[in-house]
Amino acid sequence: MVGSYSSDLGETLSLWSTLPFIGMLLSIAFLPLFAPKFWHNHFGKVSVFWALVVSIPLLSIYKGVALHDFLEIVIADYLPFIIILVALYTVSGNILLRGTLLGTPAVNTGILAIGTALASWMGTTGASMLLIRPFLRANSHRKNRTFMVVFFIFLVSNIGGSLTPLGDPPLFLGFLRGVPFFWTFKLLPHMMVAVIILLALYFLMDSYYYKKEKVEDIKVERKKEPFGIEGTHNLFFLAAIIGAVLMSGMAKLGEVRILGIDTAVQDLIRDVLLLVIAALSMMTTRKEIREGNGFTWFPMKEVAILFIGIFLTMMPCLKILQAGEKGELAFVIQSVREPYHYFWITGILSAFLDNAPTYLTFFTSLLGRFYPGVGGQEAIVRLMNEHALFLEAVSAGAVFFGANTYIGNAPNFMVRSIAEETGTRMPSFFGYMLKYSIPVLIPVFVIITLLFYL
Amino acid sequence: MSIEKILFPTKFRELAFDALESLFVLKEAGLREVLLLHVILREDVGFVPFGGYLRKEEERRREEARIRFEDWQKSLSEKGIDSRIIINVGEPVHEILTVAEKEQAGLIVVGRKKRIDTEDSFIGSHTHKIITRTRIPTLVSKYMVQFQWDDATLTKVNGSPFEAPLVVVDWTELSGKVVGFLSGLCGAVRKVRVFYNLDADTLRGSSESEISRLKEDSLRKLRNYCGKLESCGMEAEPHLGAGEMLDEILRVSRERKASMIMIGNTCEQHFLDRMLHRSISYEVTRASELPVLLVG
Repeated sequence: MVGSYSSDLGETLSLWSTLPFIGMLLSIAFLPLFAPKFWHNHFGKVSVFWALVVSIPLLSIYKGVALHDFLEIVIADYLPFIIILVALYTVSGNILLRGTLLGTPAVNTGILAIGTALASWMGTTGASMLLIRPFLRANSHRKNRTFMVVFFIFLVSNIGGSLTPLGDPPLFLGFLRGVPFFWTFKLLPHMMVAVIILLALYFLMDSYYYKKEKVEDIKVERKKEPFGIEGTHNLFFLAAIIGAVLMSGMAKLGEVRILGIDTAVQDLIRDVLLLVIAALSMMTTRKEIREGNGFTWFPMKEVAILFIGIFLTMMPCLKILQAGEKGELAFVIQSVREPYHYFWITGILSAFLDNAPTYLTFFTSLLGRFYPGVGGQEAIVRLMNEHALFLEAVSAGAVFFGANTYIGNAPNFMVRSIAEETGTRMPSFFGYMLKYSIPVLIPVFVIITLLFYL
Repeated sequence: MSIEKILFPTKFRELAFDALESLFVLKEAGLREVLLLHVILREDVGFVPFGGYLRKEEERRREEARIRFEDWQKSLSEKGIDSRIIINVGEPVHEILTVAEKEQAGLIVVGRKKRIDTEDSFIGSHTHKIITRTRIPTLVSKYMVQFQWDDATLTKVNGSPFEAPLVVVDWTELSGKVVGFLSGLCGAVRKVRVFYNLDADTLRGSSESEISRLKEDSLRKLRNYCGKLESCGMEAEPHLGAGEMLDEILRVSRERKASMIMIGNTCEQHFLDRMLHRSISYEVTRASELPVLLVG
């Protein structure tokens, strides 16, 4: 697990040092919206730009201390984060669902339920990539597919991933900081409330459109292909990923120093195992299976490039929050007091910024608020024992609210892209919020607040 | 068996139309339709980070490809060849193979239809993947190439690939297929050179009389193949080589001014098999400056 982060730097850093982080996140929020072609071609340069804007002045002023903290965030957070994503993305991309399913309300609700259940074990990205194409194929005869894809994003690409660190990147970052693997199962009641309401609503909507479109009267002419799963040996690799992550949470094999950063041996072993599993999955699976899934490394490349910028620019922000009331973000810590504050503030920011850095920001602010100056692991253990509801609120807020916009979580944009490629009209950025997330998700989150955080 | 339908994927690079034009002669051999395929790379229009899909960009690219293809279609139509335009978004190799299977194409035309620099192998990674994965006859077109021969850099335009092919045989069933495929091209092919190589290992381990017997036997079989091709109206002559297979194929193809090499496709699909087994058809495709037609 990650060792304690020194908070000294956080006590001296000015608020100006968080501007590159805000710039990076605003770039992610607005450039895809207003300059999509520029963003598509130059997102790497934008990421590098903000990384340089933060690192050059900090390294010039704080030298070794800043270098240590940058290296720490890269080695302890960024690399394991990318490695787990690559492993889950690779293994799930090597499993192909074949067969002719007919998209009736019951079948579609079933697919969404299965996807939601899988998301915590194969990642929201993995479950989304596994199921979105079969889901769209099953409904290719349906006129109105937009709401189906939106609910898919709600459930499979976001809310379903709330039970384990494999499910959604924010929870994995929590795991890297010392939150136990099964701790997030505490979110099961919250998740079940959201899932039951959303699935019921989906079923009603789908049944309405099914009747309106008179789908029963339409003769669907397509080649019947028997249902089947190819690349099933990858389920073993999936289990191996879970095993490797569990191992790193349970074993204590000491530490080694890499570039001056203390790194747990079990974490290194986990990362190597994950890379080996991904490589074995690629080597033992036929290309045709990946091609059937439309597998490409491009989304992973994008995530790797963007997130190095996010993690580097995030470092000063985390340091200041970690300094608690001694840091310049003391007003944030003072104004966010109750669990429901954390649920909503983490959530709203997760919806517009990526949920992984947002989670880490508020996770760190909790440590800064309750245990300023206390070492990382000790503070985390005390937080889970003494203020568990706060951490639940931050975790649920980060995972659930990621569904509110296309930019809330990485699989959202992948699912949108695949849906549009296959001819499904998707709402614009604001259309998605106005037509779907505000009227559907926000009431669900209000219910969750009333049930669990008040 | 004549080629009735050709799949012609293109990125509209330099000399792509010239490469297409060089296939018009197949009309004389029964060609009826050319499928013009352009694949828009999924990565160029999809997966905009946190954005989604560039629908307008896809539409623009589709329209550009359509306009270019429609211009080509005029030339095809003038020659009495039907054509269809297919523009898909996806991964090129997968799309080419899927369309070829679905449309039951008789020939896939791949390869760089532009100048190829001397430093490069004569095939790119997409072509490599296609020839290792399909058993549909595949022409690796090399319209204009530069290559090294006797320390000189030569430029060659392969404008009439079907005129005088060199057919490599080895008495296997696959060779029979190659000759069978070639016999369906009468009308397009003027003269065929049928080539067999006595490989260096066989020669090293055999006595003089054994070599003599082997030579006579090989020539007899070569003449049999030639007879079959002559009965289809082609001029055909046998050629025997001796030594390293690849060197001999390249030597004879140059000396006899072949317009193309035809060979059975022995490319291995699996990585390990490729590592263990050096496919001669792959080596020829990679090393020869001539177009290579692989028959699987």
